[in-house]
Amino acid sequence: MSTFQGLELARKALFAQQGALYTTGHNIANVNTYGYSRQRVNFETTTPFPNPSRGMPNRAGQMGTGVEIGTIQRLRDQFLDFQFRTENSTLGYWEKKQEAVTRMEQVLNEPSENGLAKTMDRFWQSLQDLADNPDNSGARSVVAHRGLALAETFNHLSKSMQSIQSDLKDQIDVSVKDMNSLLKQINELNKQIQKVEPHGMLANDLYDERDRLIDKLSDYMNIKVHRTPSSESSLEIADGLVSIEILDSRGNSLSPDGVFLIDARSGKDLDSAVNEISVQPGANEKGPITSVSIAGQELENLDILKSDGSFSALIESYGYEENGVVKGLYPEMLAELDKMAREFANEFNRVHHGGKHLEEDNDGNGSKFFVNKANQEDNDYKNSTDRDESITAENITINIDILENENLIAAGDPDKGSQNGDNAHALADVFDQSLDGLGNTSARKFYASLIGDLGVKGQEARKMKESTEIIQAQIDFSRMSVSAVSLDEEISNLIKFQHAYNAAARNMTAIDEMIDRIINQLGLVGR
Amino acid sequence: MRITHTMLQNNMLNNLFKSQAQMEKYFTQIYTGKKISRPSDDPVIAMKGMGYRTQVTEVEQFRRNALDAWNWMDHSDDVLDKATKAVQRMEYLAVQAANGSYSEDERISVMKEVEQLQEQLVELANTKVNGKYIFNGTNTDKPPINPTPDENGKYHVTFGDGDGLDEIFPVQIEISKGIKIPINVSPEGIFDQELFDNINGFINALKNDDNVAEGEATIDDSIEALNKSMLNIVNGRAELGARMNRVELIEDRLAEQEIIAKDTMMKNEGVDFEEAVTNLLTQEVIHRAALSAGAKIIQPSLIDFLR
Repeated sequence: MSTFQGLELARKALFAQQGALYTTGHNIANVNTYGYSRQRVNFETTTPFPNPSRGMPNRAGQMGTGVEIGTIQRLRDQFLDFQFRTENSTLGYWEKKQEAVTRMEQVLNEPSENGLAKTMDRFWQSLQDLADNPDNSGARSVVAHRGLALAETFNHLSKSMQSIQSDLKDQIDVSVKDMNSLLKQINELNKQIQKVEPHGMLANDLYDERDRLIDKLSDYMNIKVHRTPSSESSLEIADGLVSIEILDSRGNSLSPDGVFLIDARSGKDLDSAVNEISVQPGANEKGPITSVSIAGQELENLDILKSDGSFSALIESYGYEENGVVKGLYPEMLAELDKMAREFANEFNRVHHGGKHLEEDNDGNGSKFFVNKANQEDNDYKNSTDRDESITAENITINIDILENENLIAAGDPDKGSQNGDNAHALADVFDQSLDGLGNTSARKFYASLIGDLGVKGQEARKMKESTEIIQAQIDFSRMSVSAVSLDEEISNLIKFQHAYNAAARNMTAIDEMIDRIINQLGLVGR
Repeated sequence: MRITHTMLQNNMLNNLFKSQAQMEKYFTQIYTGKKISRPSDDPVIAMKGMGYRTQVTEVEQFRRNALDAWNWMDHSDDVLDKATKAVQRMEYLAVQAANGSYSEDERISVMKEVEQLQEQLVELANTKVNGKYIFNGTNTDKPPINPTPDENGKYHVTFGDGDGLDEIFPVQIEISKGIKIPINVSPEGIFDQELFDNINGFINALKNDDNVAEGEATIDDSIEALNKSMLNIVNGRAELGARMNRVELIEDRLAEQEIIAKDTMMKNEGVDFEEAVTNLLTQEVIHRAALSAGAKIIQPSLIDFLR
């Protein structure tokens, strides 16, 4: 046994406790760092003396030789991470969904005194007034202008929704960019970690950074993190390299081999591990999403929609094409509004045709009341009794001739006297008439049920968002319970390690005095 | 479970946000006066709300239509009243003129009065309200009767375009969902050829001092004929009166419906203020309690108690 072993032992203790104090300091410093997991120094006893060997001294028992820092480990529960990310993707999905529905509700603005329903009611009222006073040019002019107001409300709704839709496309493009950037960053961290771990170290702060990025990525879609050891010499408790796979909402792989966004399973060629996401049509292009590709490989049947997350919610809201059919919240609502505008306009025109207006230089039959903007100049079109299938909420407007000369409103029944208002009654009845094209409901009821459906969707999205929010918060709470820095704990650790450090110093002093005794105070007999 | 300061703080903030969101909800309810501000708050209320709004608009409109109906009917009634009086006066004059003691001069002056009354009847039949002829059905732009003096300077009337009354179509007004009521009085049987024939016959008898040709009406005949004409007018008026009663009944019902519809709408989407204010106050108390508890819980740490 060495004379100076005691000094060595005390030195090791001092170093180890100092390391622990510094780690505590690191924890305290990062108490407010988002995503930081507290770190713990795992003390290990150093190899005891003597080692069993041929020349070992003959003595009873091994003697401890002190302490060293084995590893510095972060405290984190990967199982909770997994739960958190699953809920996070669900939350992302419902958050975006709710946002999209809310914006639609804001545009439609029902029930209110300014919505489409009220505009229709006002138009109906003006027709009733016209029926009472068919000879009154004021009443006629009100009909023309309220008809125009109705058409303009349709135009406004359609345009506003389209602009939100193009905004959603921008969000999709930005999401794709952001996801790809996240993937690259995660992969960079993989590379750095691969350089650290083979030396038997734990890259705690890099792990935190990587987990933070994966958390962010999990907002976009449901993902699974696979772990691969970075090298054979890495520690057992090292996190290793991560590969990221897309899962559907039930937690199954999208394909038998799995669809990987980062594939580092081989542990090699990390430079080519990232599989970038792209959508068709690409950035700044319009039209429904037709495909989503991973590393240029198209996902079958737009499978990405099975993986709930803000990305799929955006695509579902913006619109996508499936088997040649355009689906999605906004395209469907726009199509319904188009249908409503078209069916209402055509029925209204049909009744209007049957009426008689006040101008004599005409056969007495009403022209089209509502027209497609594009055909505003075409007189043959305006006087034809054919249905116009091209009318949409976007292009519907009132026949400019009627706006300029309100006498052209065919308020009268041709067979019932010169100034009758019977056809105005018939026009007013169109609002409550069941229309084939609207599934045998009236325009009014059709619109009310559109709003009802939208309300139900919005309510579902909000409720789901709220409940997922609670679950996600609970899981995050559990996660923080494991990983977050507690100042009380760190302060008490600080005291603990400080005492240990002081005691080790005292130990060294004791050894020092011992040696002093031997060197300086022995062998002085008779001096 | 390990609880750290950050967790406590996050939790506290989350709960404060939630409580503030609740307060915001009650605030919005109070200052908009509505339970919901968008369909997703309650799709059923939203859908019903749209239906009730339409209902309120409809009832309001029907009441407005009823006003128009009254305007026509009141004027028609007034005109028929005056027409009755005019024909009554003629009948009275006929009874007097039938009295053999009347001299020819007296009969001529009676004739003059009858001619005036005849003109008055034409004016009554051609009454315009709001620029509309009210006794010509839906042909409100044309007078039902055209007074034309003939070649002898004799006063004549023609009807419609000259070949009898125009075909009369009812002027309909919708005063309740699907219920259309004709509001005009048809000139048929009232201001028609027969009336003016009777008057002309009377004038003829007066002019010829009751020595009329074979087949022409005598004064005595005229008494009877005018009496019949008067009854026709009275009948027309009675029929109008019956319709006015009906409008009145429907209007009363509309007034009730309007109140009920508005009330239903309010009950559906309107906020119960007592409830909303109580909710707000309760929420405020909770919020204050949460703030004060939060302030206490995030304060102390071990550092405060170490020397």
